[in-house]
Amino acid sequence: MDLFARKKGERYLCGLIDGPCQTSGLDVLVQDPAHGAIAQFFGVVRNHNEGLSAAAVDYDVHPELALKALSELCDDICGEYPVRLVIVHSRGLVRVGEASVVISASSAHRKDALGAASAAIDQLKIRVPIWKKEIGLDDEQRWLDGHSLRKD
Amino acid sequence: MTAITVHCLGAFRDLGNNFTVEVDDASVASIRAAVSSHLLEINRTDLEGVLKRSVFAEGDELLRDHATVSGHEVSLLPPVAGG
Repeated sequence: MDLFARKKGERYLCGLIDGPCQTSGLDVLVQDPAHGAIAQFFGVVRNHNEGLSAAAVDYDVHPELALKALSELCDDICGEYPVRLVIVHSRGLVRVGEASVVISASSAHRKDALGAASAAIDQLKIRVPIWKKEIGLDDEQRWLDGHSLRKD
Repeated sequence: MTAITVHCLGAFRDLGNNFTVEVDDASVASIRAAVSSHLLEINRTDLEGVLKRSVFAEGDELLRDHATVSGHEVSLLPPVAGG
């Protein structure tokens, strides 16, 4: 089941999708006749990590919390940058070469679109309740370490 | 004693989708201590370090250790690694 949240006024769209993310057509979602720049970021599963070969990543997600965190993240980014923004993240299995996260940002000028896309992926990695289980070529599996959400 | 169902995420999925602990009070600190004891009981003290860096949530609210839960279910969230 895919889950999406859309901000009133349609400044942003964010969501979770089962399996790999599509990388085409994102530009249409942020198009605005007043915007002269669109910046896009695709996070793609690579075939190696920390010296080990990888075949895929299985993404575990807390859907309710992740959608809330993504919405708050979009609120923050749209408060800092005058952009339209789309963020979609995968859950479940994503194989090498497939996209696990896609971000698209548009703005009147390129600096804001580039800044927003960069800030969005930086913040996503440390704020959104998503976990990676890396699957090796020999089907060996390991959970990857991450950023603690604990505040006390 | 109160039974609290702990829903597992990330590295804690290795323990199953959930497990139950018994606590004297509904504070998050008590639940954390009970989970630590559970890890010892099932010989998974390798997850103790992850537990220390994990946060509990009830519904869509992240909880600090001094908070108390209103229901009987929490989620256990290890350090996040999206992207």
